[in-house]
Order: sequence, then structure tokens, then C-alpha cells
Amino acid sequence: MFFPGTENERHILKNVSLKVYDGDFISVIGNNGAGKSTLLNTIAGTLSADAGSINLENKNVIKKSVSYRSRWMSRVFQDPKMGTAGELSVAENLVLAQSHVNTTSLKWYNKKGQWEKFQELLKPLDMGLEDRLKTQVKYLSGGQRQALSLLMATLSKPKLLLLDEHTAALDPKTSRDVMNLTDEIVNREKLTTMMITHKMSDALKYGNRLIMVQDGQITLDVSGKDKQNLDSEELVGMFDN
Amino acid sequence: MLISSLGQGLLWAPLVIGVFITFRILDIPDLTTEGSFPFGAAMTISLMLNGQSAFIATLMGFVAGCLGGFVTGVLDTKLHIPSLLAGILTMTGLYSVNMHIMGKSNVPLLTQKVLTDYLPDWATEIQTIILGAVIVVIVIGLLYLLFKTHLGLSLMATGNNKDMSAANGINTDKMIIFGYTISNGLIALSGSLIAQSNGYADIGMGIGTIVIGLASVLVGEIFLRGRNILVRLSAMVVGAVLYRFLLTVAMGLGFPPDDLKILSAIILVIVICVPIVRNKLKTRKQLKLYLSQLAEGEQDEQDGSIKHTKFTKGVLSGDRE
Repeated sequence: MFFPGTENERHILKNVSLKVYDGDFISVIGNNGAGKSTLLNTIAGTLSADAGSINLENKNVIKKSVSYRSRWMSRVFQDPKMGTAGELSVAENLVLAQSHVNTTSLKWYNKKGQWEKFQELLKPLDMGLEDRLKTQVKYLSGGQRQALSLLMATLSKPKLLLLDEHTAALDPKTSRDVMNLTDEIVNREKLTTMMITHKMSDALKYGNRLIMVQDGQITLDVSGKDKQNLDSEELVGMFDN
Repeated sequence: MLISSLGQGLLWAPLVIGVFITFRILDIPDLTTEGSFPFGAAMTISLMLNGQSAFIATLMGFVAGCLGGFVTGVLDTKLHIPSLLAGILTMTGLYSVNMHIMGKSNVPLLTQKVLTDYLPDWATEIQTIILGAVIVVIVIGLLYLLFKTHLGLSLMATGNNKDMSAANGINTDKMIIFGYTISNGLIALSGSLIAQSNGYADIGMGIGTIVIGLASVLVGEIFLRGRNILVRLSAMVVGAVLYRFLLTVAMGLGFPPDDLKILSAIILVIVICVPIVRNKLKTRKQLKLYLSQLAEGEQDEQDGSIKHTKFTKGVLSGDRE
């Protein structure tokens, strides 16, 4: 709830109940201001819910911090700058993403053999990043940063991957490349994923399930065959309801 | 003159490194400095007057500063007080604490052995340089090792991108508190060393230390630049020494000691402006060169295109930092 007790009081999410099954790839669509991002932020812990519970494998994490939840959840933000540390090198960013637990250990982070492993990870992106491990991330392009963010988010094999309009800030071609990469990684690693998108085509093309958020509630939840039978115009029509 | 500013500069170096940790690594201008510097001095001198050895007293000075930094860190992260205000609050509070420790506003040492007295019987300036060098090497060595560990990497990541760090499992509050703590510990260590070198602790000795620290950080970065942490830390020592040298020159020109504070402030303004002006001049020069090459290219159209591509690259890479 935002601004309780004032004229601006607004329930962003109300009575939202969503069960995410293992292996689901859910596209989340809805109007601007409908509460999609709030939903994702609440799940990730950036925003705290006033009431209710969030269960992750039968464990209520509603009171836990972002960093605690990050052991099971990863996130890619809309802004490519958000998902990576610009002053640090590509390799250092990958080290950070690798372990969400040993963040305060006094062991050296520059281990032998790590370099080759990172190069192998970066090669499939086909962006030449494997030769730029030492480059500070702030010198990479938006597309490269976002591909790196995506790779970093999936490196720890999270139980839940949250994608918040992660292709929205990219040009059409890069956007498509990153989307293909997403689909590939999600399928290969069998990651449970929630993806917010404003592109109806992406929402229909990718994933096995689709939910629509309107006015803080989930107004549509289709999966499997029902989802395949949906088409773009039908969906846009539903926005008006 | 050079020798004495070298020695003094080395004693001030831990303060500059401390300011570097909050200002550059965590990206926070931390005003606790003004309180933790005399805190270290007061702690050390009082303990020595009470019969403790200079080693223990210096170490406790460091610990005292850590405590001050810890308080600011908690105010900033757990109570969500803006970092600038959190620093001011701790600094103000420490004034009273320091008065309680010292009992009066100026406490001189009597016949106690200070750290330099444990060295062979050389000239005081040489002793100061040796002591300063040993301490600087230890501090830089330990910090260098720290920044090679996961902990150090987490600290750097937190200062650079807090959201991303939290999303990667780093407890950013803890990291910020940790940064404040070691930073102020080092600042207090400087206070402790300066007090021993001067032979007294004074309640007003912290005034202007944040300006001195920031100016030294920037002076150091003007002369020594790089991404390697060892280079960056060494630059802080260079900055501290050069800054002392600048002040000694000013004193030699006949400025009274009371004017040193305004000189410090002016130096800080200048060193903030130098990199900005330098970048502007560089860009203008490169643009001019580029335009003149373009004009040349038009006259000589055959290999003009090759020249262009070559040059654009040069401009881009020269623009970095």
C-alpha cells in the first residue's frame, strides 16, 4: 500500500495470489501503473508488502532482505546500468554473480582456472566479451551490458529468475538477440522465470504461461494450449476491460 | 624543508587513505573525519599519560576511530540518516567525548616515549620518515590484500552499484558500516601519530581535516592515475606528501599559521577544477585536430576516408576518464 491514510492512498497490489510452478516461464503483461513492477519488486524484496506471504519452496520469505532472497532469486533490470557494476571489470562482475553466499569471505577472488571458465561462458554470446574480461563494464554498450547482466543472473542457477522489461531499453535487433538468448538459457537450465514485457509478440512467443495484471490484480492467467491459442489482438482487446 | 614535509606527509597518509576509502570506494563524503582524527589523538595521549606504551596507545587510537566510524555507519544504514548528516552528528558528539577523555582542551605529553623514540638515535626528521614509511607500507599492504578478497570485492561493488550488489547477495548495509569503520580507524591512526609527533593532543586539531583529506586525495589522483588498487593507494601517499609540501611552501612565503585553513580550502577548490579544465582543453584540442584533418581530407579525397576512421578511434579512446 502506498501513502496510507492520505488522499493519495493507493493499493497497488490487492488480493494477489499467484502460484508459480517449477519450470514455469511466465510472461507478465499489463498497463503502465497496473502493478507489474511492484509485483516483481515485492517478490524480490525491494519493496515490502504490508500483508500476506511469499513462499519460496514452503519457506515464507516476506520479512527477509533482498540479499538473503538473492540466494534463490536473480533479477535483470530494465536499465542495463542497474544489473552490473560499471567501475568493475567483466571478470569481477562475473565473480560477484557466481557466489551469492561467500560475499564476505577472506579468500582471494582471483582463482586459477576461473579465467578460462568465464571465457567459455561469454563465447556463446558472440559479442567478443570473452576477450574483454579485464575491461571495465562502463565501456561496454547497452546490449553487451544487458547480455552480461542476463548471464550473471543465471550463473547461480536461481530457483526463480525475474526479468523486468529487460529488453525495453535496447534497439530492435539487440532486443531480439537478448530475447533469444534469454529463451535459450531458460530452456537449457530449466529455470523458473517471470518476465514482464510490453511486447505482445514476445509475451505470446515465449514461455508456457501468461498472466495479465490490471489495477493491482491478476485478471488473466492462461497456460499451455490456452496460451498458444491466444493472439495479439485478442490480448490488446483485454486491456480495455 | 622537503625532508620535513615528507615525514609529515607520511604521518598524514593514513588519513588520506581513510578518506579515499569512504570518498572513492564507497562514494560518500564522510565528515566523521573531523571527530575521529582528534579522537585518535586524545585516546593515544591519554593512555600514554596513564602509563601505557606508545604501541598500545597507538593501536587503541586506531580502535577508537573504528568505533566512531561504526557509529556513523549505523546512523547511515540502519537509521537511514543521510550520510552527510550522519557524519556531522558523530563528529559533534565526538567533541564531547574527546573533552571527557582529555579533561581539558590541550594535553601535552611529559616525558613519555613516543613511537619514534624506539628507533635508533637519528635526527627527528629521519625518524619520522622511517616511522611513517613503515606504517604506510603496513597499511597499504593490508588494504591491498583486503581488496583481493571476496570481502574487498563486495566493498567495491557496494560503493559502485548498491542495487546490483544487493541483488547478488551482498549485505550492503554491513559493507557500508565496514567501510566507515576501517576508514575512520585509519584517520584516527593519523591523529594518533600527529599528536605524538607534535607532543600534544588538542581539541581543535580535527578542524579542517576533511578538506585536507579530500584535497590530498585529489592532488594524488592528478599525479598518479590508474585502475590498479595498489597504484590508487600509492597515489594517496603521494597526495599527502605533496599537500604537506604545498603548505610548507606557503608558510615559507610568510603566511601565518592561522591562514593555513583558508589556504587548504583554496587548494581544494583548485584541485577540483584542474581535472575539469584539463579535460575541456584536451577535448578542444582534439576537436581542433579532428576538424583540421577533416579539412585536409577534403582537399585530398583519395585517402581521406581512411584517415577519418583512424582518427575517430583516437578521439574515442582519448576520451576515457
